[in-house]
Amino acid sequence: MEDDYYVSSDDDYYDEDDDRNNMELLEYVENYENLRPEAPTSKVISKESLLAAQRDDLQRVMDVLSLKEYRARTLLIHYRWDVDKVLAVLVERGKDRLYAEAGVTVVEDDNLVSSQFSSEVMCGICMDEIPSDQVTIMDCGHYFCNNCWTEHFIVKINDGQSRRIKCMAHKCNAICDEAIIRNLVSARDPNLAEKFERFLLESYIEDNRKVKWCPSVPHCGNAIRIEEDELLCEVECACGLQFCFKCLSKAHSPCSCRMWELWCQKCQDESETVNYIAVNTKPCPKCNKLVEKNGGCNLVICVCGQPFCWLCGAPTGSDHTWDSIAGHSCGRFKEDEDMKLELAKRDLFRYTHYFNRYQAHTDSFKLESTLKKSIQEKISRLEEKELMFKDLSWATKALYRLFRSRQIISYSYPFAYHMFGDLFENEMTAEERTIKQNLFEDQQQQLEANMEKLSLFTEEPFHEYGHEQIMELRMRILNLSTLTDKLCEKLYDCIENDLLGSLQWTRHSIAPYNSNGVEKASELTVSRDTTTSNSEIDLATNGMDISYTK
Amino acid sequence: MVDFARVQKELQECSRDVERSGIKVSPKSDSSLARLIGTIPGPIGTPYEGGTFQIDIALPDAYPFEPPKMKFTTKVWHPNISSQSGAICLDILKDQWSPALTLKTALLSVQALLSAPQPDDPQDAVVAQQYLKDYQTFVGTARYWTESFAKKSSLGIEEKVQKLVEMGFPEAQARTTLEAVGGDENLALEKLCSG
Repeated sequence: MEDDYYVSSDDDYYDEDDDRNNMELLEYVENYENLRPEAPTSKVISKESLLAAQRDDLQRVMDVLSLKEYRARTLLIHYRWDVDKVLAVLVERGKDRLYAEAGVTVVEDDNLVSSQFSSEVMCGICMDEIPSDQVTIMDCGHYFCNNCWTEHFIVKINDGQSRRIKCMAHKCNAICDEAIIRNLVSARDPNLAEKFERFLLESYIEDNRKVKWCPSVPHCGNAIRIEEDELLCEVECACGLQFCFKCLSKAHSPCSCRMWELWCQKCQDESETVNYIAVNTKPCPKCNKLVEKNGGCNLVICVCGQPFCWLCGAPTGSDHTWDSIAGHSCGRFKEDEDMKLELAKRDLFRYTHYFNRYQAHTDSFKLESTLKKSIQEKISRLEEKELMFKDLSWATKALYRLFRSRQIISYSYPFAYHMFGDLFENEMTAEERTIKQNLFEDQQQQLEANMEKLSLFTEEPFHEYGHEQIMELRMRILNLSTLTDKLCEKLYDCIENDLLGSLQWTRHSIAPYNSNGVEKASELTVSRDTTTSNSEIDLATNGMDISYTK
Repeated sequence: MVDFARVQKELQECSRDVERSGIKVSPKSDSSLARLIGTIPGPIGTPYEGGTFQIDIALPDAYPFEPPKMKFTTKVWHPNISSQSGAICLDILKDQWSPALTLKTALLSVQALLSAPQPDDPQDAVVAQQYLKDYQTFVGTARYWTESFAKKSSLGIEEKVQKLVEMGFPEAQARTTLEAVGGDENLALEKLCSG
C-alpha cells in the first residue's frame, strides 16, 4: 500500500517520457543553478588574523570617541565586542556613564606624572617609603609602587582576570592601562606577559557573541565570526569541519540542537539494548548464560540442560504441566512483567527503526564520497573525448546535491524520532501527532525517493555516452537536482512552520535551509594588516603601547 | 610569600588606636604571622552589644593581593554569618577585596555587617528567614547567643560552679573547666562529660 503510494508520487514529480515542458524547465533550472551564492558572511579567524579581526571594531570605537586603543578595548570587552551597543549606550546615557560603567578613566589633565612627587612617596600597599621613580600612577590618579603593581597584576592574570584588571585602590573601578601591565609584568615574568597579551586578544573570541572557537578536535586554532544577527546557523571552518554555530556540535539540521543532543546521548547510551536484555532474557541459574524465551510455557530449559522457572528464575525439576511446574510455585507478577516487556519492546523497536535508517544514510553518505572521484574521472575523460561538452558542471552539481540531501535525510530520522516521540508528549494529542507524522513522512519519503534516483544516475557510465544521450542525461539530472533541492527546502519549511512552529510550550528552532549547503567561512582578508598586526604584537610584547604604533 | 613587613606594620597601626576602635589583631602563635586572631566588640544598639567576637584570620600567600580568609570562632546569630561554621558573607572578603584594604579595615567592615545585616544575600538561610519573617524572635535569638557565647561574665560564675558541683563534678575541676571555656556552662558541661 505504502509502496504504491510512493511510486505514484514519484510519477507526479518526475516522468521520463514527459518532455512537454522540458525546455522551459531547463531554462529555469539553469537560471536557478546559476544563481551565484552570495559571498559568505562568516569569516575564519586564525591565530594570525586575530588582531586584524578586531581592528575594525576597535577602530570604529576609537574614531567615534577619539580614544586610545587600550581604552577602546576596555570598552569593547565590557560590552562584549558589540560596537552598536557601545554607541547606543553613548547616545542614551552619555559618555561619562559609558566610561564609568566600563571602568574607563580618561584624564584630561596629563600633568599627573610622578615628577610632581617629592623624592620619596609612601606606597599605600606595602606601606614603605619608595623612591618616586619606582612609583607608577594610573589614569585614575592612584599611585602605588611598581613592586606592588606587579604583584597585583600577576595575581590577577593567574586568576584569569586579564581582561579586567582594576586599580588597586579600594572601590576604584578603573581598568589598568594594558601598556603599564605589559611593561611591569614582562620585567618580572616575560612568559606571563605573553600570556596576558594572548588573553587580551582572545577576549575578542571569548567575550563575543558573534565569534566562536571552531570545535574541531584536535583544535585547528581557528575561530569563526558570523556577520549576521542570525546566530542559529551552520558554518564550515577552514579546517573542513561543518558545525552548528549555536551548539558547536557537528552540523545537524533539520534536527534542533536539543534533539541532536538527545539523539547523541541515546546512541551512546546502550541502555536500549541493555533494557531489552533485562526484560527479555534471564540468566540460567546454573551456567549464567542469558536465556531468551522463544515461546511455550514458563518452564525453560537452558542449553546446558538446566530447567528453571521463567517467572522467578529459580532452578526447578523438569516435570510440568501447562501452567505449573512440579514442586515449584512462586509469586506471580505475570501481568506486570508482560506490560514492561511490551513497553520496552515497543520503545526499542521504535528506536531501532529510526536509528537503522539514520545509520544507513550516514553510511551511504560515506560511500558516496568516493563517488566524487569517479565522477571527476568520468568528466575529465569526457572532456578529452568531446570538446563540445565544455560545461559539465551539472554533473558535479548533481553530485553535490546528492551529498547535501543525503545528509538532510539522515538527520531527518533522529528528528522524527524525537518529534513524534516522548519529547513533545504533552504538546499534541495522539491524533494530531498522527496527522503531523503523516505530513512529515510524506515529504521525507518524496525527498528520499528522488534522492535515490539521483544517486542511481550519478553511477551511470556517462563518459561512454554519445551526444544525444548525454544531453538527455543532463536534462534528467538537472531536473532531479532541482526537484531534490526544492523538496529539501519544503522539508525544512514543513519542520519549521508546521511541526516546530506549532509547539505551545517549548521552543525548538533549526538552522535555515541553505540550498548551497553549509556555508564555508571565508578567510579573513588581512592583506597588509597581517604584517602590521604581527609587528604590533611583537612591539607589544616588547613593551610598547599598541596604540602608539599606529 | 605573605608580605610580613606589611602585616607587621598593620599590627602596629592597629594596636595604636585599639582604645578608640576596640579592634584587636594578634598573632595566633609567636612563630608565624600567617594565622591571626581578630577581636571586635559588638556594635552598640544591636543585639550584639556587649559581646566580644573573635575572628580567625588566615593570610593567603599572596596577601595583600588576595583577601585574607576570615571566619567567626565565636558563635553568632546573623543572616550573613553561618551559625554553624562562622563563615562570613562579605563582598570585600571576596571579589571586592582591594590590596589597599587592611586587616583593620576588613574587621571594621565585619563590624559594620553586624550592625547592618543584608538578609537578601544570606549566608545562613535559616537566620535570614527568621530576620525577614519574625524580626522580634531574630533579635531575641541574636541577643541570647551574644549572652551565651560572646560574653565572659564573671558574675554568676559561683552559681555555675555550684550547679556543676550539684551535678556531681569536683569543685576544682568544674571551676577550671568553666574558665577554660570562657564561662559557658553548657560548653563546660559538655567538656566535663566527654573528658
